Amino acid sequence: MADRDLTMGPREGITYPIKVQYCGNCSMPIEYCEYYPEYDKCKQWLEKNLPTEFEKVKIDEEENAGGEEEKKRQKRGGKGMLKSKKKEDVPKLVQVSRAPRGKKKSVTVVSGLSTFDIDLKVAAKFFGTKFACGSSVTGDDEIVIQGDVKDDLFDIIPEKWPEIDEDSIEDLGDQKR
Amino acid sequence: MFKKFDEKESISGVQQLKSSVQKGIRARLLELYPHLENYIDQVLPKKDTFRIVKCHDHIEIVVNSAGELLFFRQREGPWMPTLRLLHKYPFFLPMQQVDKGAIRFVLSGANIMCPGLTSAGARMSDAPRAQVVAVMAEGKQHALAVGLTALSTEDIAKVNKGVGIENCHYLNDGLWQMKPVK
Ligand SMILES: [Zn+2]
Repeated sequence: MADRDLTMGPREGITYPIKVQYCGNCSMPIEYCEYYPEYDKCKQWLEKNLPTEFEKVKIDEEENAGGEEEKKRQKRGGKGMLKSKKKEDVPKLVQVSRAPRGKKKSVTVVSGLSTFDIDLKVAAKFFGTKFACGSSVTGDDEIVIQGDVKDDLFDIIPEKWPEIDEDSIEDLGDQKR
Repeated sequence: MFKKFDEKESISGVQQLKSSVQKGIRARLLELYPHLENYIDQVLPKKDTFRIVKCHDHIEIVVNSAGELLFFRQREGPWMPTLRLLHKYPFFLPMQQVDKGAIRFVLSGANIMCPGLTSAGARMSDAPRAQVVAVMAEGKQHALAVGLTALSTEDIAKVNKGVGIENCHYLNDGLWQMKPVK
């Protein structure tokens, strides 16, 4: 690679803003994936989503296989290890419950969808359409659906998101709000 | 600054900005970063309304109406761009390049030590002390951190030990992982 031009100011012929390609696994620019503890998962993501970039990485690795690159690196103390995201520790579980709303009506509370990496806004919209009722994101990982639809959720959630099976949905029964 | 930052626990409030305050920040940014002049209307359109996210440890983050995180600062320190913004407009901070061996340390949040800036793979551009800089890396195209010089680059080369650049924000820290603010 040619030496970087360190001068400041916009470069001629470049339209800003620049769109940097970020990795879907580690979220960094893909050139930094090799420093991520779960580099294998990054590579899987690359292979699936950006096959041409994946090919480049493979060629790079083969060229550097001699270990020459390792030797060139300055030896330093300390660990310098990256931590992977904490998210992995959270158990994947969806919880549903019913809560009273006024004297006669109830609402259904769904939490835990984001442990399956599901976009809550999309999910809320989906429930609203499916049950023809109000449905909104009410918290960090909580959706409230207007109406008592708890029992239906055990069929509808696995149908919509096959990665969630019925056993990963916990029924918390009736809760006070 | 954002090593232990967690968007769930570290945010204390969001504040709408008065237009006079907004103007002040805009002017301050242009003073700090003259190269932004032709792009400031893209980055901070006059008509957009901005908010400030107040966080623990006296950290403030400027957010636009779409919720994108743009600039941050601690106490009365200079406004610094988030890496996502810097990646879009990578030309308004002086660039300092660390050698390959330093990358994993920077990515784990360590400050940048002088030898990582003076070795064969490293390169510096002139900067005074306490200047906001972009930390680049040997063989890589995009910035991996935003920092504040602890010494002038001249002194970094001369002294060549200890901390050269304070690591304020790096790829995958709490600020990088913070989602757009609704
Ligand atoms: Zn990655």
